[in-house]
Amino acid sequence: MSAKRDRILFWVILTAVSVLFVYPFLWLISASLKPRDQVFDNVLIPTTWAPGNYVSIWQVAPVLSWFVNSVVVAIAAALTVTVASAVVAFGFAYFRFPGRNALFGLVLATMMLPGAATMIPVYLIWNSVGLATTQVPLWAANLFGSAFYIFLLRQFFLGLPRELFEAARIDGASYWTLFWRIAVPLCRPALIVVAIFELKASWSDLLKPLIYLRDPALYTLPRGLKAISDQFGQAGEQRWEIVLAGSVVTIVPMIVIFFLAQRHFVEGIATQARKG
Amino acid sequence: MSTVLPEQGSRIRSWVTGFRRRETLAAYGFLSPWIIGFLVFMAAPMIASLVLSLTDYDALRPANFVGMSNYQQLLLDPKVRVSLANTLIYTVMMVPGTMVIALALALLLAKVGRRSVGFFRTVFYLPVVTPKVAVGVLFLLLFNGQVGLINSALSLVGIHGPQWSTDPLWVKPGLVLMHLWAVGGTVVIYLAALKNVPRDLYEAATIDGASAWQRFRRVTLPMISGALFFTFIVETIAGLQTFDEAYAAFYGSAASATYSSDAALFYLIYLFQQAFQFLHLGYASAMAWLLFIVIIVITAIQVRLSRRFVYYEGR
Amino acid sequence: MGFGTGDEIATTRVALADKAVAPFPVKIGGSAFDAQQFLSAVASHTAPDVIYLDRQLIGTYAARGTLEPLENCIAGQHIDMDQYRPAAVAEVTLNGKVYGLPESYDNRVLVVNNGAVRSVGLRPSDINPADRTALSRVTATLTEHASDGDVSRIGFDPKMPEFFPLWAKASGVQMLSDDGLRANLDDPRLVKVLEYTVGLIDQQGGWGSVKAFRDSFDFFGAKNPLMRDQLAAYPVDDWYLNVLGNVSPNVDMTVMPFTDTAGKPVDWATGSTWAIPAGSRHKDQACTWIKTMTDAPTWIAAAKVRAAKRRAQGKVFTGVFTGNKVADKTIFSDLVKLADKPAFDTAVRTVLEVQDSAFSMPASPAGSEFKSAWQDAVNRVLSGQQKPTEALAQAQQEAQLAIDNAVRRQ
Repeated sequence: MSAKRDRILFWVILTAVSVLFVYPFLWLISASLKPRDQVFDNVLIPTTWAPGNYVSIWQVAPVLSWFVNSVVVAIAAALTVTVASAVVAFGFAYFRFPGRNALFGLVLATMMLPGAATMIPVYLIWNSVGLATTQVPLWAANLFGSAFYIFLLRQFFLGLPRELFEAARIDGASYWTLFWRIAVPLCRPALIVVAIFELKASWSDLLKPLIYLRDPALYTLPRGLKAISDQFGQAGEQRWEIVLAGSVVTIVPMIVIFFLAQRHFVEGIATQARKG
Repeated sequence: MSTVLPEQGSRIRSWVTGFRRRETLAAYGFLSPWIIGFLVFMAAPMIASLVLSLTDYDALRPANFVGMSNYQQLLLDPKVRVSLANTLIYTVMMVPGTMVIALALALLLAKVGRRSVGFFRTVFYLPVVTPKVAVGVLFLLLFNGQVGLINSALSLVGIHGPQWSTDPLWVKPGLVLMHLWAVGGTVVIYLAALKNVPRDLYEAATIDGASAWQRFRRVTLPMISGALFFTFIVETIAGLQTFDEAYAAFYGSAASATYSSDAALFYLIYLFQQAFQFLHLGYASAMAWLLFIVIIVITAIQVRLSRRFVYYEGR
Repeated sequence: MGFGTGDEIATTRVALADKAVAPFPVKIGGSAFDAQQFLSAVASHTAPDVIYLDRQLIGTYAARGTLEPLENCIAGQHIDMDQYRPAAVAEVTLNGKVYGLPESYDNRVLVVNNGAVRSVGLRPSDINPADRTALSRVTATLTEHASDGDVSRIGFDPKMPEFFPLWAKASGVQMLSDDGLRANLDDPRLVKVLEYTVGLIDQQGGWGSVKAFRDSFDFFGAKNPLMRDQLAAYPVDDWYLNVLGNVSPNVDMTVMPFTDTAGKPVDWATGSTWAIPAGSRHKDQACTWIKTMTDAPTWIAAAKVRAAKRRAQGKVFTGVFTGNKVADKTIFSDLVKLADKPAFDTAVRTVLEVQDSAFSMPASPAGSEFKSAWQDAVNRVLSGQQKPTEALAQAQQEAQLAIDNAVRRQ
């Protein structure tokens, strides 16, 4: 009886907390559909509907370009990091060679490296090859893999039975074949997890676009949202409805991807926990 | 092997060594992307930033060697002190706050039915996929002292909310609250860890007469201490480098510069300003190294603490 | 970079300037001047050909060698520097070299909401910055609070931190030496100025609630604070008169000069300037373009367009304060006709009167850091983080350090 009562209590608390968590989204969507002077009236259903805000935002800022830029950069980042990290992870998982543990330790150590420590010289490197004002620096470093994903993928590759590879070796398969035709297909879920994580990280990134992108036409959506907030927000023209519409446009794609790939997101985090 | 003739043995040995060499070569082939990346994007920049920190380079004119003067200026610069203090205060509020709330929610989630877990987990995870820029922008709107949603809600229960975005006393707590909205990531980690705790441990404890609190302290906490420790370190490092939300809300435009009160000046923001707004690259590099050392020291302390408190299965 | 092409004053002039450099293609990057974007552009050798920025900042960029001195441009294109207001030109001159062509001249005057003032039994002339004690008293009378304690009408908004230099000059304090090399931010008289102005805000409810209230205003719309009786009196930039003329032409207000403690009018003038980055690859065209943007015929043409537009809409045309004396003369004598709108008529006359004796901040090799230093100090005091003495002492330290560093690196 008491266990049942506890359950109900927990359910109530969780529901209350859930409302707390979801309400800002509802407020955001609702406020983005209100005319400027009603934005703060804190009524959930708009008394006056202003869907025109979403039209205005297209007119005052190159939001479509920003959206496309974000998509392009995010996909480039996700693809490169997944492939590169998988390659490196396989290297650590399958092969036996001198220096393996030391090198992997180094990989782990670099996970702790704060980005700030290398931010400036990396900028100078991109500047010296003339790419410092392009979108390239936003994803190109992913060509070399990322320690976190290498760690994650190595775990999965280690879980594959060695016999599979031995059998293929005997049949004369090259190392690359072992990787590409055996390991990769078997670990597809993990690869998807990595890709989705990076997709989200790249989409949300503000610092790199701030440092590198100068031409507003090249902005990614978060960078664009910041520009919108500067120009139309508190310290600017105070056209809140634009800022809100911009926020919604920036957030919604991530929510959509999340719902589509929910399973993968959550599994990815859970794996972290198990190995952590 | 002892029955093999010596000459056969050496042939086998050289075959094995050759095989090993090929395997090593192949291995390093697979690892080459990371190795190149490490050298180009991590090792070289670390050394370069150390060198830079000893110059007055600004990317516009040739660099001059200035020795330790950047570091001396770090000690004198009021904004370095302020931003470091802000960052530490924020981290001290944010990390325990995140861990406690996440653990509480995870414990609740662990108790409810299997079907509901998915729903709640989704709800809690939604803010995590929200780009931090949007969170910062939302902060200004929701936390506006006069007309924002938060204060309106507080007034419903009779509390006169503070001026979250202008009162320096409340800016950081406000940012912490906003960050706590995204606690879902940590909740998921703790939930997974909780599920890994063997049931029979709880049963045994109950049979021994342990109360709920004792079960929590003696069984749950030690068994999930690995996850706790992991999030402790990760959240701290993230907190010390916080940038996006505060920058989106309070910095970056000339107009916001007019009203800044330094309450939200985090270390990375000031570093960013010095590096990219003023192109004081030498000075900013010195700042970066200071941050690096602070992070190493704090992480080292945390690791030492973990040896005392974290319980690993099979130790 | 830096120029917004929103209104007809801008678009008319841009069209003329474009024509002057035709067939050379001109592209305008529409966002506000951003220090980071500019410097990163210079560092990556992709600087724009022309930039548009606040005159107070130009010294910093000139001192770092990122701007082209305009001697050749001025001589080659026969630009008459006398047509610009002297204070504006001084602001863009560093070490004897001119780095920019001034654009716009933002003066500061006092705006009084007649309705509010009358409702408490006062007259507009009772708002008198010369008598600081009386001003405090009047402010108290004019301020109103709602039942929950929040401010519902600001009595007198001293416009801090923005107008700190105005208040300083009105008390006889110069914040920066004429050569731009010595900051004077820890002057005890300046501390008193800061204490007074912050005191005005504190007596009305404190910075937190005053600012939050102010942030909820619709400054640029028909429901602006003067029309909605949310604000009784405050100093403004003169372009706000233009805004009012557009959105609420029938506003009942009085515009007076801001005065110093001796009762003499004091006016702090700021504005923007065009400049040419040192890395520009099209210096000649850039020069022609900015010369056209700021010369008298262009300004007059633009003013004509706006005047006609306002007349057609039945709204008020308050002129354009161009920073170009020649243009101003024509605009205000021929185009501005406010006989039927006495409030705006007085307003414009007031601005014209104070324009000639306006002061500007001296150019400095660390102009941008200097501005940040005093603004941050004021903000720290406003938010209660520091007392005025400490805040200004810190600002002095930061500003002088920046200046010394900039001088050393020149």
